[in-house]
Amino acid sequence: MSRVSRSQPPGRSGAAAGGTPAAGAPVVSLHSVRKAYRAGGSAERVALGEVTFDVGRGEFVCVVGPSGAGKTTLLRCMAGLAAPTSGEARFEGAPLRRVPDQVGVVFQDYSRSLYPWLTVSRNVALPLKVRGVDRAARAARIEEVLRSVSLADVGRQYPWQLSGGMQQRVAIARALACHPELLLMDEPFASVDAQTRFELEDLILALREEFSVTVVFVTHDIDEAIYLADRIVVLSASPGTVTEIVDVALPRPRDQITSKGDERFARHREHIMSLVMSRSAAARAARRD
Amino acid sequence: MRVPAPAAPRLASVTSETLIRNGLAARLAVLLAALGLWQGLSASGLLTPDLFPSMTSTLAALWHELTGAVLWAAVRDTLAAWAAGLLIGGGCAIVIGSLLGLSAFAYRSAIPVIEFFKTIPVIAILPIALLLFGATLKMKFVLVAFGVFWPLAIQVIYGVRSIDPVSLDTAAVLQVRGLRRFLVVVLPSAAPFIATGLRVSAAVALILDVVAELIGGGSGVGLQILTAENSGPTAYPIMYSYILVAGLLGVVLAGGFALAERRVLHWHESQRSQA
Amino acid sequence: MIMRQWLARPARALTGLWLFAVLAAAWWVTSAGSTSPFFPPLETILRRLYQLWFAGSAKQQLASSLAHFALGYAIAAVAGIGIGALLWSLRRVREATSPFVYFLYVLPTPVLVPAIMTIFGIGFAMKVVIIAFAAVWPTLLNTLDGMNGVDPVKLDSARVLGLSGPAMVRSVVLPAAGPQIVAGLRNSLQVSIILMVVSEIVASTGGIGYFILTAQQNFSFVDMWTGIIVLALIGTVLNLAFVLAEHWVLHWHYGARATEGKR
Repeated sequence: MSRVSRSQPPGRSGAAAGGTPAAGAPVVSLHSVRKAYRAGGSAERVALGEVTFDVGRGEFVCVVGPSGAGKTTLLRCMAGLAAPTSGEARFEGAPLRRVPDQVGVVFQDYSRSLYPWLTVSRNVALPLKVRGVDRAARAARIEEVLRSVSLADVGRQYPWQLSGGMQQRVAIARALACHPELLLMDEPFASVDAQTRFELEDLILALREEFSVTVVFVTHDIDEAIYLADRIVVLSASPGTVTEIVDVALPRPRDQITSKGDERFARHREHIMSLVMSRSAAARAARRD
Repeated sequence: MRVPAPAAPRLASVTSETLIRNGLAARLAVLLAALGLWQGLSASGLLTPDLFPSMTSTLAALWHELTGAVLWAAVRDTLAAWAAGLLIGGGCAIVIGSLLGLSAFAYRSAIPVIEFFKTIPVIAILPIALLLFGATLKMKFVLVAFGVFWPLAIQVIYGVRSIDPVSLDTAAVLQVRGLRRFLVVVLPSAAPFIATGLRVSAAVALILDVVAELIGGGSGVGLQILTAENSGPTAYPIMYSYILVAGLLGVVLAGGFALAERRVLHWHESQRSQA
Repeated sequence: MIMRQWLARPARALTGLWLFAVLAAAWWVTSAGSTSPFFPPLETILRRLYQLWFAGSAKQQLASSLAHFALGYAIAAVAGIGIGALLWSLRRVREATSPFVYFLYVLPTPVLVPAIMTIFGIGFAMKVVIIAFAAVWPTLLNTLDGMNGVDPVKLDSARVLGLSGPAMVRSVVLPAAGPQIVAGLRNSLQVSIILMVVSEIVASTGGIGYFILTAQQNFSFVDMWTGIIVLALIGTVLNLAFVLAEHWVLHWHYGARATEGKR
């Protein structure tokens, strides 16, 4: 565990415009969540130090950190895909035992998360079928979510027949098909080109309004995090702990040109960059001792 | 495309595509030349009928057999044991292999045993099958099923075990569980492995099938060949026409498998370029 | 690869072996009081096995079988890789002959045994020819297929480095096609063992296949079982030897695959 971590109080200032968390219980609440693989053995590897923060209803929270900070591990703990070694992760007040019904997840690698043997429609239909949605309602819902991601006409095609950006849209549509409370996204735009990435960033902001969903978005791209988030959780280098939680003071609606040209954007970027860089330098120094 | 799904191992997966490309005219020419050479060798006396029948007599015998009932009965008997053995051995392998694949302990325990049984030359159990069932259809398909089961079970286990963890995470996130998870996620993931195993098994099955006929005396194409051989040189044209029939059976079955594989696995990387 | 992992870890090795022990014990116990002539007690079989194959003279049967096998398989391996490489480099010949090659590949080769018998008689030559002729096809086709599948970038970079002709085949094409050639050699091994037994059973007065069949025909079922066990052991040992050789030759391939897996 890193000694240099300053733990931030879980309370929020609420200064973020347009993204002020609603009152009431947080959607996700992490308390001293720590994850180690091969715990207790000599080969123990700590993937995530003690991490504490909450995500309020309707919030858009980004998690950034250097590679190896345990961002993906953190997301897996929030999804209920992995159990913390110690500490506790709660979803809507209840401890996470498995993936809750009200959570959608978008993984980084769409070529692996979309099932290549199912058409786009059937991929999107799968979570609906599981929940016993009848055929007619299913068809309507599939059309709705595919339209929302601007892919109304590709239902009969297979995911691998589409471009990378389109495939990730399908994955987003599938995650939203059941109208989840919480959408978890693990570096979802890391595998697409820059232009597509901007489009997808705007898409996800629009979808967040349309579906009024809480979003936790893991990324290593600081610009992306500032552009999207109400708050940014900055993780330190391995094993990751919360370095600081930054409230993003950028007005909404956001726009690729004006928001990123805003001087507050530049200041946020400089601040977070210095946090990420200095923390990884400090971690390296600590390891040398 | 970053990380492609694990491709099925191409164990001896010689597809007909490698061989059958364009150039039909050249092939026909070569075929005709070969037939001509065969006939020439016989006519010149280099190939004597007591060693190797002439091309014309073989094709005449083949035509005679094709229009008779004996050949079709033999083909039916050979195919029946092949299909029954493949169905039973293959079905057991898929069910048992999938079950073993569910638990790390189970498959680690079972794989050495299965690998051991796989290396046993299947003809070693032919005497036992003969003892129990005699020269019957049952003897043939038991032998075929035994030979098919072990290599296929291994492929099924590896297929089920090698499923992409992201596929399983996705299933968990989408709340896909139990039998549905097995049918919609696990089985399609393992399908390329199973297909490779089935393709190899189908070829092995045909070999064992004719071995059971040649040695065990079960009726079918193999027995016809042996009978013709025992009848002496006058029956050699018949023997060779049945050998041709056995080869054609191989061509048809292998082609059928390639076709079925393309249909079922059209979504897999290995098949996409051909779509 | 798997074998090595098991050997590396005693716990794993134990997981790998307990089922063998249980099955062997089950066979021993269930057959112990057996009066069925078909299924004699395992103890009787093992005693007889020692008498016949270790103390007795049956091991001579083994020597002739293995000689046929070794020669036939060696010819098939060399010819398969050689002819495969030759066909790969001669595109026109390959295309013209491909129907024949494919036909012989899918032909269930045991059907050739009676025919080859009429030409070569029933001696040593006939068995070697049968084994070699049947076993050559899997290696040949996999060599061809593997070489056709070599990444063009590898070939281009070799040309840029100034390689051509035999040097190119030896240092680029053969290693790149190696894994599939080895898969073909493994199939050929299986076919060789089958044909070794089949050729003896159909036309021979010696060898392990002949031993098993005569034992069965003479109702000496205990002898038959010893032959089956010995044959099973031969199959296992040959395959194990193959796996070891494969790892020795293809260590780079498994190394690369293991790193991929860890990523």
